[in-house]
Amino acid sequence: METVLTYVIIPFIKIGIVAGVVLLGVAYLTYMERKVLGHIQVRLGPMRVGWHGLLQPIADGLKFVIKEDIIPLRADALIYSIAPLISFIPALLVFSVIPFGPPQAFENLLRWVLPFFLSQAAVENVVKSTVATGGFVADINIGVLLVLSVSSVGILGIILGGWASNSKYPLLGALRSSAQMVSYEVALGFTVLSVLLIPQTLSLVEIVQKQQESGVWYVFLQPVAFVLFFVCGLAETNRNPFDLPEAESELVGGFHTEYSGFRFAIYFLAEYTNMITISAMATILFWGGWLRPFPNVAWLGFLDLVPGFIWFMAKVFVFLYIFIWIRGTLPRLRFDQLMQYGWKVFLPLALANLMVTAAILLLV
Amino acid sequence: MDERTILDAHELEINLGPQHPATHGVLQVKLKLDGERVLDAECVIGYLHRGVEKISENRNYVKCVPYYDRTDYIAAVSNVYGYILGVEKMMEIEVPERAQYIRIMMTEFNRIASHLLWLATHALDIGALTVFLYCFREREEILKLFEALFGARLTTHAFRMGGLWMDLPEGFVDEARKFIDDFPKKVDEYEQLLTNNRIWIDRTKGVGVISGEEAVDFGLSGGVLRGSGVNYDVRKQRPYGGYDRFDFDVPLGDNGDTYDRYLVRVEEMRQSRRIIQQVLDRLPDGPIRGKVPRVLKPPVGEYYSGIESPRGELGYYIVSDGSAVPFRVRIRPPTFINLQALRRLVKGLLVADVIAVIGTLDVVLGEIDR
Amino acid sequence: MINFLRKALLIDILKGLALTFRYTYTKAYTEQYPTVKVKLAERYRGAPRLNNDPETGETLCIACDLCAEVCPEDLIVVGSVRDPESKKKVLTHYTYDTSRCLFCGLCQEVCPTNAIELTQDFELATYDRASMLWDRTRLEKGWRRIPDHKDYK
Repeated sequence: METVLTYVIIPFIKIGIVAGVVLLGVAYLTYMERKVLGHIQVRLGPMRVGWHGLLQPIADGLKFVIKEDIIPLRADALIYSIAPLISFIPALLVFSVIPFGPPQAFENLLRWVLPFFLSQAAVENVVKSTVATGGFVADINIGVLLVLSVSSVGILGIILGGWASNSKYPLLGALRSSAQMVSYEVALGFTVLSVLLIPQTLSLVEIVQKQQESGVWYVFLQPVAFVLFFVCGLAETNRNPFDLPEAESELVGGFHTEYSGFRFAIYFLAEYTNMITISAMATILFWGGWLRPFPNVAWLGFLDLVPGFIWFMAKVFVFLYIFIWIRGTLPRLRFDQLMQYGWKVFLPLALANLMVTAAILLLV
Repeated sequence: MDERTILDAHELEINLGPQHPATHGVLQVKLKLDGERVLDAECVIGYLHRGVEKISENRNYVKCVPYYDRTDYIAAVSNVYGYILGVEKMMEIEVPERAQYIRIMMTEFNRIASHLLWLATHALDIGALTVFLYCFREREEILKLFEALFGARLTTHAFRMGGLWMDLPEGFVDEARKFIDDFPKKVDEYEQLLTNNRIWIDRTKGVGVISGEEAVDFGLSGGVLRGSGVNYDVRKQRPYGGYDRFDFDVPLGDNGDTYDRYLVRVEEMRQSRRIIQQVLDRLPDGPIRGKVPRVLKPPVGEYYSGIESPRGELGYYIVSDGSAVPFRVRIRPPTFINLQALRRLVKGLLVADVIAVIGTLDVVLGEIDR
Repeated sequence: MINFLRKALLIDILKGLALTFRYTYTKAYTEQYPTVKVKLAERYRGAPRLNNDPETGETLCIACDLCAEVCPEDLIVVGSVRDPESKKKVLTHYTYDTSRCLFCGLCQEVCPTNAIELTQDFELATYDRASMLWDRTRLEKGWRRIPDHKDYK
């Protein structure tokens, strides 16, 4: 009974919560983007739907759902329908390994709730394993690898979407988009690798725990890697200044030209979910995940009252704000310049960073 | 339908169609592409043709004027100025000094407004979204000034034969002063966002280069010509309407690429502000309209009056046959002539640069198609 | 050296970012139009109106036909009869086609008695084209009453 509870029921509840929070977060990320972008541009953003536009994402979602379902005549109907899902499902899957809180996050909560259903010894058994009490859905010891590889699968959705549309512009846009994402994955991988040399583990939970032990967040040890990671993350998610493949004012409208209605909404959700993934990875790898600022300074202990996942969400929020802030400021790179920067600037920098880190670690 | 698949390398013909967010109007450009490089570009215009010149043959000299607002609708004040100067010269009408000064001031305001719109759309095409809204905020102030003086924001119907319709309203001078006191800071803001930004420089340096001699051969004018280093500004070469009483510089570019044209136009905004400052400091009192006969019947003959509109040299070639209705009014639209250079400028560039080049030529379809 | 550092530390990009960050907490420039009244200048050339003498209530128009002559689009039609006693023209019909109007203001400029005047009404949208041909009654009524705008003349 305890095994079923520990390994099936509680994780399912956690999956439900995580999926719900992420989807709601993605919807309100669109709202946040419009509001923040509006204020950067001295205007107001959505104001009419709900108080100050708070119900705007719901109105948008409803609009996407009730639109006519169009499949172009010569498009490959099956792949056309599935391609957005191929983009979206891996993006969502990544959140199964991202830790929102420490391994003992729910211990007190479970100790309070479970005695109503189980005996005391059974409660102790359940609470012992971090599968039930951890602030994450699963703690895999190759977490980073899973994140990188699963998010690469999402690129397939873009290529298939452009191909299945059977039209010039989406094909060009899809090829450009996927070429960009693949090139920046390489640089991204190397920056992540150089950070991983310090904790020497691939498990996301342990990376944060090592930051807690050593008392210093990795951004202070690896600032170049952080900047590179963030910039490559911008390119991964097709955001400004790397958003030529999907910009409205360029010649091609990108891979989602022929998409409308709910399928377009799924592509949109996939892009924003990727944004949240990159922000979450940046907090975990560089900024201490769920740790409070200054984790080893004793007199700031009152900050411990704030649970870990609030710190995590605050940090992710800051990174999302930076994503939107950059979108409102910088012009767009042309595609060939984008590829040049990816291969000729970021990749050598990432490799150099890796070698310097390795050298320093060897000497120290 | 040939057997080669879509991925084989052969020429692709793409339509940068009439409905496009970045072509500043209904301009159709047929591009022949080899992969990403442009081999040839052909402009198809005429989607906005309304027959303004033909209409002018059936209206008398005063009634023609509202139609010319709608050709270059962004710089409506300068349009009307050119035509009215032509007719006033033909009829030898004296314009009082206060009217001249106010006309110059409003034309310079219009130059700033037009350059702000140019910068806004150019930056928007290249991807900097915020510059668009900042420029429009300034432009909104100028349009409010237009509304206070002329009665309309965009199609202003600004000047009348012999001067102005009505004098400056209450509080106009204060509002104008407030605007031009604030303005240099705002231009500095745009420059802070764009001029030294490495992405902007990457997108605009070396794109759409045209040399000075080629520009003169094509007959270009305005910012495009001055960006290539040729010092030709109608306000300095053939001063009209009193411009020789004010001092201002004409900025020139070095390389003739998009970046230089951007710098030239931003500097022109500052110089226009300088002119407005001088006008406001020296504004005389007096009547605002000279003596105009009841029915305008210019003597038989032809007259060309060219002015410096924000886009280049805007000319009105008026042929009169002695009656109250002009025989022919031919408009020399600067953008129409500048657009010929598009084919030469985009050869060998990438598709994304075509958008930047159309932006830098400061294309307004109302003027091209009339 | 300085140039290299500037490029490496992304100074130009950071300056731009600082500027846009400053704008996030400044006041927005938007006017929320339907809930907030629009402030138009006095000379704004909007919808036309045929004025009446405020004391006698009679029309100021003397049917001189100048507005019809000067209109670039020839869309004003002035109908009149000559009063046999006073030998003056009396206005009977006045038609104004707002669907073709350029709002150039020439009619209000030439009118000797300020009878035709372009007001500040710009909300002229209708559902059918026939209602854009305004006759004398509509012109004299002026604005359609919109509750928010009761402070306008």
